[in-house]
Amino acid sequence: MNTLLRRFPRANAFEISLAVFALLYLLIFAGLPLIYNIVLSFQQVDLMEPATLLRPFVGLANYRDVFGRPEARQVLINTVLFVGLSLTLQIIIGFLLALLFAQDFPFASAMRGLFLAGWIMPGLVVGVIWKLIFAGDYGVLNHVLMQTHLLHEKIFWLSDPAWSLYAVILANVWLGVPFNMLLLSVGLAAIPADLYEAAELDGANPLQRFVGITLPMMKATLGAVIALGAIMTMQQFDLIAALTQGGPANSSQVAQFWSWQLSLQTFEVSAGSAVATLMLLLVLVVAVIYVRSTRNERMV
Amino acid sequence: MKKLLAASAALGLAISLSCTALHAATLSVWAVDEPDNYTEKMAQEFAKLHPDVHLQIRKVGFAALNDETMRAVMSGSMPDVVPIDNPNTAMFASKNALLDLTPYLAKSKVIDAKQIFPGPLKNASWNGKVYAIPRGTNTLALYYNEDMFKAAGLDPNRPPQTWDELYADAKKLTDAQKNVYGLAFSAINNEEGVFQFLPFIQATGADWDKLNDPGAARAAAFWQKLMDAKVASPDTLTHTQSEAAATFINGNAAMDIDGPWELNAVEKGAKFKWRVALLPTEKAGGARASALGEQNHAILRGAKDPDVAFQFLEYMYSQRGRDWNEFGMLPPSKDTNTPNPKWPQAYKAFNEQMEYARARGPNPQWPKVSKAISDAMQSVLTHQAAPAQAMTTAGQAVQGVAH
Repeated sequence: MNTLLRRFPRANAFEISLAVFALLYLLIFAGLPLIYNIVLSFQQVDLMEPATLLRPFVGLANYRDVFGRPEARQVLINTVLFVGLSLTLQIIIGFLLALLFAQDFPFASAMRGLFLAGWIMPGLVVGVIWKLIFAGDYGVLNHVLMQTHLLHEKIFWLSDPAWSLYAVILANVWLGVPFNMLLLSVGLAAIPADLYEAAELDGANPLQRFVGITLPMMKATLGAVIALGAIMTMQQFDLIAALTQGGPANSSQVAQFWSWQLSLQTFEVSAGSAVATLMLLLVLVVAVIYVRSTRNERMV
Repeated sequence: MKKLLAASAALGLAISLSCTALHAATLSVWAVDEPDNYTEKMAQEFAKLHPDVHLQIRKVGFAALNDETMRAVMSGSMPDVVPIDNPNTAMFASKNALLDLTPYLAKSKVIDAKQIFPGPLKNASWNGKVYAIPRGTNTLALYYNEDMFKAAGLDPNRPPQTWDELYADAKKLTDAQKNVYGLAFSAINNEEGVFQFLPFIQATGADWDKLNDPGAARAAAFWQKLMDAKVASPDTLTHTQSEAAATFINGNAAMDIDGPWELNAVEKGAKFKWRVALLPTEKAGGARASALGEQNHAILRGAKDPDVAFQFLEYMYSQRGRDWNEFGMLPPSKDTNTPNPKWPQAYKAFNEQMEYARARGPNPQWPKVSKAISDAMQSVLTHQAAPAQAMTTAGQAVQGVAH
């Protein structure tokens, strides 16, 4: 304890009490549920038992059960695709938009503000809107694609197992782009303009300036955006609930929704907790990346 | 000042004496968030009749009923009265979450359990005891668009009687150019899809606990045929029953397998003549079957004042004559008097269909049973598994959880 305190030599009682308050908050509202979830994943949980910690310990049986299910492989592949594609597209589109709005043109900031409208909408509402867009028979997307002769036959975006996952990813990308753009815009604004001026004088073309100045200066921001984006994507739940509920035939099933279905639809709480714990491990890896990238930020 | 106090004390005493029947009690009720607001309306009417009952209402989404109730029971802070989708009553009863209503029913002058139809009563009971009261009941039948029947050269007086006729008529009624499908139904991957699929399984002689029976595979193969021929929208896989009804109302589907709860919407929205027919049988003269749905109301074991809660259940039951006209539900009991039923043709058809309605379960593991059936159904419709193979797998899964 003393060594810990010595790391904050200038902290007074007031500051320490603030930190303790924050720590307690985290422990109660984030730490305990997390630990409880991990404990559950090693126990045999029966429904509606009084909330107790003492339940039969079953070792890794719940994990074996989860991996032994026929849909496990598909859920794993889908989750990787969902997180990977969502993240990549969100960052690329978000970065392009941030670069666009960093240019000086009329109404640039007003338009950037409008882009945030999508971000403030709840996932469930976004899901309902996208369900109308994706509807096979009367949906907006098919209508546009058919009118422009890009499609000759309707695609049933949500009901065709070949498309359902990508439809959900598309909606999730749309939902995540504004947030990415916002964070990246902030990062771009922090790059000193004289760097670009100097490079321009030295005869660097726009691409060279982007690769030589923008990208290296944005490293910390990008790290944070990737980490936060990964966490938000792995948490994405209401969008899936509104669009496909993991269907048809598990074709758009991803780990977070599966975990919820197991825990709260078929009440296999142990199996659901095992999936949640596996997700937690993944988030932990990402969180480490995030912490490291923000640490770099401080040094700059 | 002293006089004032004495007077108010006397007044208070008088008030408390005047309502000996119901002392100041709170009644905490959950209501499903749905257009007709049945439970909420009933609770408010009950509170008006009993001004000393302090009413608390919380609205819960239908899809969240199970887990919200489960969490309330686990956490110990629970409402008094909850709605439960009828196949899930056994699960809550078997977990000791519900108050056994049998002793209350023995004394009740309002509810005569013997009058309740056997199906709804079965889905409100567990191990021979009654744990809930059905607010009404419902079943599935075939809505059809008379105008489209005529335009396609079909006789509106002779709706499809068998699966083959259903397929043939749906095919004739389908007009891809005009965006019209012959048939609408729901094959969504949750309880709604199972609710729609089970009657087809049951019409063959198979059932939820006899999925290995070849009939179950025939039912799955028939649904697959409907989807493959595109006589129903491929989006049937993600349509809820209300969304299916909406395509019928908009004239994008000529027939729709749906329940009486859609009657109000159909009447308001449909710009064509429509009728309701019994669900077709597998073969001519074959066994009839249909679904049995609707919510029950149960009293949770931790209810603060079970007597008041039961009086509320009695009040709801006493209003069952309004089920059809106001709420699109069929009456739950033989002794229900429905004055001037609206939509007389539909009333007759749905009541006849009700005679063939079969309970889901009862089984305390119903959500798992339902998931197994739903998975099998969707894997057949998306051609990921052959009908026989999928239904056998589901049969094994059901056997694993339900016995």
